[in-house]
Amino acid sequence: MIQFLVKRFVGLLFVVIGVTFITFVMGINAPGDPIVQLLGQHYTPQAYAALKHAYGLDLPWWQQYLNYLHNLFTFNFGLSYEYPNRSVWDILSSGVPVSLELGLWALLLQLIIGIPLGILSALRANTWIDTTNMGIMLALYAIPVFVLAVFVQVFILWLDNITGGSSGINWPVAQWGVPWHYGWSDIQFKIAPILVYAATGVAYYARLSRTTMMEVLRQDYVRTARAKGLRERVVIYRHALRNAMIPLVTILGVTIGFLVTGAFFIERIFNIPGIANITLTSIYSRDYPVIQATTVLLAVAVVLGNLISDLLYTAVDPRIKIQ
Amino acid sequence: MDTRKDPQQPVAPGAMFSPSLEPEMLSLDQAAGMPVPAEVTPAQKPSSPLRDSLRRLRRDVRAMVSLGIILFFVLVALIGPPIYQHIGGPYVSNVNGLTLSPADYHNYYHEELDRQDEGPSAQYWLGTDQLGRDILARLMQGVLISLFVALFVEVLDITLGITVGVLAGYYGGLIDQFLARFTDLMFAFPGLLLIILVSGIFGQSADAVFSHVPIIGANGNARLLLVGLILAITAWPLMARYVRGQTLQLKEQQFIEAARTAGTTNLRIILRHIIPNLFSIVVVASTLNISVTIVGESGISLLGLGVQQPGSSIGLMISDATQNIDTYPWEVLVPCIVLAIIVLCFSFLGDGLRDAFDPRSKD
Amino acid sequence: MAENLLEVNNLKTYFFTRGGVVKAVDDVSLKIQPGETLGVVGESGCGKSVTALSIMRLISSPGKIVDGEINFNGENIMEKNQNELTDLRGSKISMIFQDPMTSLNPVYSIGFQIAETVKRHRKDVTNEQAWKRAVEMLDLVRIPDAKRRAKNYPHEFSGGMRQRVMIAIALSCNPQLLIADEPTTALDVTIQAQILELMKGLSKEFGTAVMLITHDLGVVAGSCQYVNVMYAGHVVESAPVKQLFETPAHPYTVGLLQSIPRLDDQRGVKLTPIAGQPPDLLNPPPGCPYAPRCPRKQSRCLQERPELMQVGRGNQLAACFYPVV
Repeated sequence: MIQFLVKRFVGLLFVVIGVTFITFVMGINAPGDPIVQLLGQHYTPQAYAALKHAYGLDLPWWQQYLNYLHNLFTFNFGLSYEYPNRSVWDILSSGVPVSLELGLWALLLQLIIGIPLGILSALRANTWIDTTNMGIMLALYAIPVFVLAVFVQVFILWLDNITGGSSGINWPVAQWGVPWHYGWSDIQFKIAPILVYAATGVAYYARLSRTTMMEVLRQDYVRTARAKGLRERVVIYRHALRNAMIPLVTILGVTIGFLVTGAFFIERIFNIPGIANITLTSIYSRDYPVIQATTVLLAVAVVLGNLISDLLYTAVDPRIKIQ
Repeated sequence: MDTRKDPQQPVAPGAMFSPSLEPEMLSLDQAAGMPVPAEVTPAQKPSSPLRDSLRRLRRDVRAMVSLGIILFFVLVALIGPPIYQHIGGPYVSNVNGLTLSPADYHNYYHEELDRQDEGPSAQYWLGTDQLGRDILARLMQGVLISLFVALFVEVLDITLGITVGVLAGYYGGLIDQFLARFTDLMFAFPGLLLIILVSGIFGQSADAVFSHVPIIGANGNARLLLVGLILAITAWPLMARYVRGQTLQLKEQQFIEAARTAGTTNLRIILRHIIPNLFSIVVVASTLNISVTIVGESGISLLGLGVQQPGSSIGLMISDATQNIDTYPWEVLVPCIVLAIIVLCFSFLGDGLRDAFDPRSKD
Repeated sequence: MAENLLEVNNLKTYFFTRGGVVKAVDDVSLKIQPGETLGVVGESGCGKSVTALSIMRLISSPGKIVDGEINFNGENIMEKNQNELTDLRGSKISMIFQDPMTSLNPVYSIGFQIAETVKRHRKDVTNEQAWKRAVEMLDLVRIPDAKRRAKNYPHEFSGGMRQRVMIAIALSCNPQLLIADEPTTALDVTIQAQILELMKGLSKEFGTAVMLITHDLGVVAGSCQYVNVMYAGHVVESAPVKQLFETPAHPYTVGLLQSIPRLDDQRGVKLTPIAGQPPDLLNPPPGCPYAPRCPRKQSRCLQERPELMQVGRGNQLAACFYPVV
């Protein structure tokens, strides 16, 4: 077990190194000279040299990279280029709890809505329930998240028009943050982005659950369970479901990937000050340290997700032995 | 069943580059209950597998309708603009008093600033956007861009995917190892992130560097090329995986062994026996990947990192119009609906192709 | 004669597929006495498995039992509702299947899978008692070190041992009838013998009737008192085992026996297969299903379908107008 964890941790390390190296190289080779931009009108050769030194940018590249790595382990992501007296971590840390809140809710919804829908479809396979369900799931899955977001917003506006209320389309920023608020107005504002964010994942889990459940229901051991005289409910929940869940556990990494990519759109469209939104802003303003930091963080999140799902897989399937 | 590692899964549209799985590729079947006893399978009539597949495809209404719609969009994107630019009479602009022909006011970048945010009319068939530009013209241009990028990406995807996939499957060894590691990296690292990074950091300079290269030109196409390249880089490992899986299967079959005993060189075997049999899996994977590409390009453009003004992309149209979603929802709904239709059609077509080539998964 | 434990009358199970109606079981009748071992022999596709599943009422779409009576202990199973059926299965009638590698649930221990059957059918049994019974059963089917191994998972057992576990499950509630659908087909020959011995011994010890389904006549010879031969969804011969082997009446049975290579055959003696193709269950021809391949056929055979009728001495029945006897 320990061996397995160590091996996977080393793998994580490799990915982190790979990712950081890529972003580091991109940062170094990025067009424009950030020091020059920072100085702006106050450019003098001395100021340039001094600032460059302060940012450690006058060191040879491999040393810069090592410094960078070293700093990473202490969560020191360096100083922002855009805001010279704010550290990158400072800028990001406001976004982390927001994105986490959004992401965790979306994940929860995906599991508690997606999986039961899929199982239901499998149990009523090829009936109208199944066909309609899967039709909707296909649509939710195929249609990109930003289009869904637009549809939802238009729908809410239309609702507003008929009910005469006003939920406002400029989703206020203030509702997200620490601690996580859940007053009635908070819920109103948060529910739309969370639902849209979760939609693709719900569809994915529903389709996958349906497939694995149908596969399991065809297995011999389900027939054995019935031949033993077990009641149908027991056959389904104790024998079939338990096996159908196994593959679902392995896709946690993939799900995190979905969440990471979706975050960019959801946060931008709904004006949510999470990590992705901050990253986008820093891309527009060429604040490379922030970009690098976010990339590393997100990549690590995805890899961690994969790691967790591997662990869960071994816990849940007795046939798998950890080497 | 480790679904993540199963090579039979093509990519998901709309789910933005995650190494996701098309769940239905795992076998679907009738409802709960017993496996059908051997007594029941009716006898099959012999026929060419390709003809069988095409016949099955023709029977799939959803897929056929989707194919029709796609072809319609392709047609409109290709010949629509020239035709549209000949429809309509001269128009005197109130902004500067000039007389404009449809070639002027029906193209995608012309701004008519006193005709902003209009609904559909005889002059502007789908109305105008917030800068007085013809929505239909912009839409057609956007679809054209999407299709070009999709084509570009698919060509790279298929070439790289088949080359590496066949070599990895046929020879194994280093190439196979490399493919496995690379795919793992791709799976671990969300593709969208890479695209955002690269186009974010290098987009502007790419534009500057390539603006003097013919064809590519100055109006943001270089950036598009970059986006296309990265999309292809993210897509090919999955294609290579399918191809590799199929190659492995084929390699074990008798006719390959027969060819080898007859003294056929490996190259010949690959070219004449393996590659032609990859047709079905490549077609299905490509079709489904086109959805991903189209969504990817739209998404990137929506974030401002792809097609730039005054160019047009579906994503750009959406992001432009989002500001006025409460006052002029029409402007944002049109590109959204078109995008949704295109993506759904490719999905249905991909599903239909897959079922046509591998009906085992349905019956 | 003692009252029949199981009496199947005119069972018809059809499968309604897209390609047509497959008459997998087309008017099958059989009976089993308490404690008796009945062999059901036939080639793949003759309907023996479907018959067994029909008796357990485990046929599902697109299959359907369209006609017939299945009398167990005097009660017609066809008239029972879901609850009664689940009460019956596993406790009065049990079934074991062909492939032991896939018949057990991989995520539960084998002890659990036995104990859950016990708990299902014996309401007042505690978990500990059920587990004890499970270990007892494992001992009974000669799994070594039963107490420890009861906690193991199916993948930790070989095929032969898994089949023993299946037997343990099936017999855990002391059923009156055990249906064994090709229980040894997927196993090595040596293991095969062990399993058959085990089943024979347990059947004798507990008085369990056994319906042993197989395509292997050798298995039948060693284990059964009575044999039914099936072909194309019909029972074509029914006889005590000795009579079947010594004086087979139906030409199909004769053909089967002739086609088996024997230890005392001369070297170089050719095998005698049965000529012709297996029947098409989608469009069965009128008349006797075996007629197209039968060396003894007459024109009557192609038009009329023979019912089971007495041939020779004793209780030997054959569905043939011109039996060999």
